[in-house]
Amino acid sequence: MLARENPFAAARVLKVRYRLDEARWADLIARLESLGMRGAIVGRKGHGKTTLIEDLARRLAARGHSTRLVRLESGRRDLPPEVRAALAGGSPREVFLVDSAGQLPLARRLWLYAASRRAGGLVVTAHRRGLLRTLLRLETTPQILEAIVREVSGREVASFGCSARELHRRHRGNLRDALRELYDVCAGRSLARAS
Amino acid sequence: MSEIRVALAGGAEGFRPGEEVSGTVSWNLEIPPSRLEVRLFWHTEGKGDSDVQIACMETFPDPGREGSRSFRMRIPDAPWSFSGKLISLKWAVEAVAEPAGVAGSAPMVVSPTGREIVIGKPAE
Repeated sequence: MLARENPFAAARVLKVRYRLDEARWADLIARLESLGMRGAIVGRKGHGKTTLIEDLARRLAARGHSTRLVRLESGRRDLPPEVRAALAGGSPREVFLVDSAGQLPLARRLWLYAASRRAGGLVVTAHRRGLLRTLLRLETTPQILEAIVREVSGREVASFGCSARELHRRHRGNLRDALRELYDVCAGRSLARAS
Repeated sequence: MSEIRVALAGGAEGFRPGEEVSGTVSWNLEIPPSRLEVRLFWHTEGKGDSDVQIACMETFPDPGREGSRSFRMRIPDAPWSFSGKLISLKWAVEAVAEPAGVAGSAPMVVSPTGREIVIGKPAE
């Protein structure tokens, strides 16, 4: 199967949105507001943090918040200069949503948390709990993996040669890696087997 | 409902490097955009992150809520459209109404033959 036909191509997988129903979205935003618009989305790699913070930014914007979504590329150890300038200048109406803030050095994180007190809010994603209160801790399940596979490919995980439970366990809940393995299967490579 | 359509002249899809691509963009939007950008671009699709590059762009400021405009852009010499198991490179013309981001696009193929190059397939 060619890359452009592969249902697990990154561009297609990225279209899958985080699965929260309206009631849970309302709870999440209410909790964020109760925390003074400051909180952390915590979860391991491939658990949906980026997808959730993107969707949260859209939800907050739809509710009239001025939002700024900052995506820190893998390995990036500082905030973009324009973000630092905006935070240093004080942006009382702006909610900053910083994806992968956990990869910033401690000194920069402390500066971010302090500077953002003059902003409209701060939401970060991180692999583990930190200085901000946890807004939501993300977990994945074989059922979520199964639902995503069905959404992007129209097929059951079992049709690729293993169960959702086995695939989920092998990748320790990292859905991104599990879907990449299925990409390889569609590209004609054999499925990895648990050792 | 907001809609943007991109139509390539003559319904063409296959182009050769260095040729011109022309067509019409038409739009009907709920909110008047501040500008409309027509972009000739390529992007990759595959297992990893996607690469995107805009080769040429025309901007129409204050285009109004509804209308249509023609465009004409020169296609660069490279890269060519191709597809393999790990990565595909695709060309398209897209029109985006800013700042809302409403978009429409028309796919196209760029190669010396005007057909997508399939990696791993014997040449015809």
